[in-house]
Amino acid sequence: MKENRCVRCGAHFRTASVQRVGIVRDWAAFLAQAKGYPLMYRLLDSLPLCAGCLEMMPVIGEAVCRGCGRDSRLAGSFMAEAGLCRDCQTAKPSALRGNRSLLRYDEWGRELLALYKYRGDERLAELFSLLLVIALHRSYPSLRFDCLTPVPLHVKRLRERGFNQMELIAERVGRACKLPVHQLLERTRDTKKLSQQPGRLARRQSIHGAFAARRADVFFSSGAASAGAASVAHPSEKSRAILLLDDVYTTGSTLRECADVLERSQSVKLHIYSLTIFR
Amino acid sequence: MRRFFCMHLQPLCIIGEAIMVCLSQKCLPAPLSFRKLVAGSETEGRSVRQYLLYLKAGEDSVQTHVTPCFAVDQLYWQEREGTLLYIVGKTTSLALAFAMREWIIGYLRERPRKHRMMPEELVAEIRREAARFVKEAGAEYGREAGERRPLDKDWFVWEQGEQNEAEGGGQPALFPGNSACANLASMRRALAGRALLWEELVTLSRLYGWPAGDLLPAVQMLVLSGQAQLRPGIRLAVRKGFLRHRLELVCERCGSSGRQAIQLSVCHTCGQGCAYCTVCLGMGRSKCCTPYLLVADSSGEDEKQLSSSRAVRLEWKGKYSAEQAQAAEKARRFVADKWARTPAFLIWAVCGAGKTELLFPAVVEALEQGGRVLIATPRKDVVMELAPRLKRAFPEERVIAVHGSSREKWEDARITIATTHQVMRFCRRFFLVVVDEVDAFPYHNDPVLYRAVERAVKPQGKRLYLSATPPRDLQRRLVYGQAGAGRRFSFQFGGLKLSSATHVLLPGRYHGRNLPVPRVCTVSGLYKRLNRQRPVPPLLAMVRQSLAADRQVFLFVPKIEQVQQLLAYMRAFFPEYAAMMEGVHAADDKREEKVLAFRQKTVRLMVTTTILERGVTIPGSDVAVVGAEAPVFDEASLVQIAGRVGRSADDPEGTVLFVQAYRAEAAKRAVRQIVRMNRLAEKLRRSAGRT
Repeated sequence: MKENRCVRCGAHFRTASVQRVGIVRDWAAFLAQAKGYPLMYRLLDSLPLCAGCLEMMPVIGEAVCRGCGRDSRLAGSFMAEAGLCRDCQTAKPSALRGNRSLLRYDEWGRELLALYKYRGDERLAELFSLLLVIALHRSYPSLRFDCLTPVPLHVKRLRERGFNQMELIAERVGRACKLPVHQLLERTRDTKKLSQQPGRLARRQSIHGAFAARRADVFFSSGAASAGAASVAHPSEKSRAILLLDDVYTTGSTLRECADVLERSQSVKLHIYSLTIFR
Repeated sequence: MRRFFCMHLQPLCIIGEAIMVCLSQKCLPAPLSFRKLVAGSETEGRSVRQYLLYLKAGEDSVQTHVTPCFAVDQLYWQEREGTLLYIVGKTTSLALAFAMREWIIGYLRERPRKHRMMPEELVAEIRREAARFVKEAGAEYGREAGERRPLDKDWFVWEQGEQNEAEGGGQPALFPGNSACANLASMRRALAGRALLWEELVTLSRLYGWPAGDLLPAVQMLVLSGQAQLRPGIRLAVRKGFLRHRLELVCERCGSSGRQAIQLSVCHTCGQGCAYCTVCLGMGRSKCCTPYLLVADSSGEDEKQLSSSRAVRLEWKGKYSAEQAQAAEKARRFVADKWARTPAFLIWAVCGAGKTELLFPAVVEALEQGGRVLIATPRKDVVMELAPRLKRAFPEERVIAVHGSSREKWEDARITIATTHQVMRFCRRFFLVVVDEVDAFPYHNDPVLYRAVERAVKPQGKRLYLSATPPRDLQRRLVYGQAGAGRRFSFQFGGLKLSSATHVLLPGRYHGRNLPVPRVCTVSGLYKRLNRQRPVPPLLAMVRQSLAADRQVFLFVPKIEQVQQLLAYMRAFFPEYAAMMEGVHAADDKREEKVLAFRQKTVRLMVTTTILERGVTIPGSDVAVVGAEAPVFDEASLVQIAGRVGRSADDPEGTVLFVQAYRAEAAKRAVRQIVRMNRLAEKLRRSAGRT
């Protein structure tokens, strides 16, 4: 029996305690698709969280908005027939085909994410990457992605912070899911923290033109880097699936902008999806 | 940026207030004075800081220095000794630069004959060896970092010095622009007595309106003149072992070391292998490439002479009991004693003995001697409560409250009240440091606290510890340790002395009544009973009695998730009081409101975790601990919890109940300690009655 420490509340816990095993089992049954239970159980069990924090995890329910992955219970005006929330119905079309997230962004995760991003507790990368792996298995079980791309950080911000929060997570996710990770984008303009900008419109405007493709066509046209895996998934060499990774999806302007830039830069057809920890 | 040139068309360097000099060989012995014309350039934040390692070859010795700003060093040595400086190399990792400095010092010490070598040869040799050292350190780092990959090819990047950079004279190419340090004096005053990471330093400089470019040269000037120390956030060293080498990483700020505390990572700020400390992460990231500046406050000595005769007005109308007066006098004498053997003193006073008031004479004494006073206490709520009380007691002194979100953080005051964490930000600043509830710093017996306190106090200053349940090692050191001069006169009861040169013990409460002794009962299958809502008779009886007697009840549980559980249990058994019950834990957003409601008696029963174990005083309350065998409740915290009861003079009685699922040592020890204190207090009262 191993003694572990919960990264959220700091309490010691045993992974084998009856209470925790029960909670892990419940979550695994809830999150797993028909075949994936053992995998899901293992992933959930390896989360560095105690029974209490695990139980309170605000997991997004089954019914979500088809576009942005918002929990339908939360969306104010959920349109049942279209399966889209109001924001997604009114949003203008984008290269981003859909977003999925694992957790609701509330008190449970807010401090944890701040601790990681602003305080710089890199140990939390393990937790967040595991959460993303769970989300990936849950939300896109049938899709095979050609590569993962984290949303980039501006060089100035990177230097200030000292570490690239999404890249750290993406690396681990890539390793766990055996997918290649490529930094296809770069941030050309340092925008203010989105959380400090009020209003959807302001966010969208400030993020516009903040990204650029980094290695236009290098990876895709030749197809050399991942020829094996990709060609099995997509018999036609002409289309590729990319998964964008980010921490929070708030209005989606960042991810949509990223997707648009990516699509414009590549000559092949891209299917771009995104996955975030919090929604 | 504007640059100025001297008559020989060499760029000028600005130093100090309104002085500009040319450093070229031709101009040298005549520095030119000009008004300061150039504002510091905004280089900070955009470029990566580089640290240069150089040797200073004097007549008979070779010194090694690290500098972030070589131009300042050149100037400094030029003015004083005119010696030659040889650049060994430069790097962006401050820790690496310092590790190499240590290594070079060791290298030269082992080979005394090298001092007599021609400096050129020596430098060439050291440069060669240095490259090897960096490679070794990098390999070691890579091995310990495991699967992480460096940004570049190597973990550590080291640029070797060029062959002919040796002369100390003007190399305009090396000047990072004409950085000014006009604010040097005000900067020194503001920084005196502080220990800050670079980010904090930048915040401070913004607050004072210093140009960002000025900071680095000014800091280096302070370092060179010996008024400040520059260190890396994490110290790095390679220890050579018989079988294999080992990387030694120690946090300079909190002193933690070991793989648990120090995490290896790749840093995008310096682009090298860079470790950071997780223990003091909450205070900002201390890492290998962050400079950590320690400025000792040396102003104290003359200040003391200036204000030695000044009287401090204490406006406090309360009265001490006989024991309190004695203890307060002991503490005062300790502060006044210039020849005390140990600079530490412990006031061991049971819960509700009136510790804060005991401090006043000691604080007055310290202020009269012209020193600053720091009172550190573990919780922010206590800081906020204490500050107005001290302001009232010392109306003529400036009192500031320093905690994470306080606005007065950077100000100067005679009396500073701070959370224990903030103590880490001070260096040789205070004459008297009082640490309230020493045992409560994040977890028990944390060496970080003692290190921080030792650094915050001046070399001849005093440390005063307050506790109701002093940690073992402090007891051993100050209570049982050296007997001291007071031995012949001290009382002695069962091996525990009531006072010595290094401690004073107050076993009784200020109202002269005994501490309530907890009743311990063991209930087998306790948690099952609580889960299934089956009765736990002793607990129910106690709660019923208290509620019927119109008293308030505190229920402590070991874990957060048990708060709701016990609350539901209590609501089921006492439906008539269900609306007057609440549960609170650390992560609760309504914590303050709930505690307030409990204080105002609208809530009669409160279920809580250990967060309310200290500081909360509610008259007319009873306490029960449910699950007293849990490891979170150790002896100290159980004594503290029992100390919540019967604190006010109107209502000195109360019930304390420890319910445990099985027999545990902690509860037994806590009861034993309380009984012992009561016995001591009774004896003392009796002997006082006789005389």
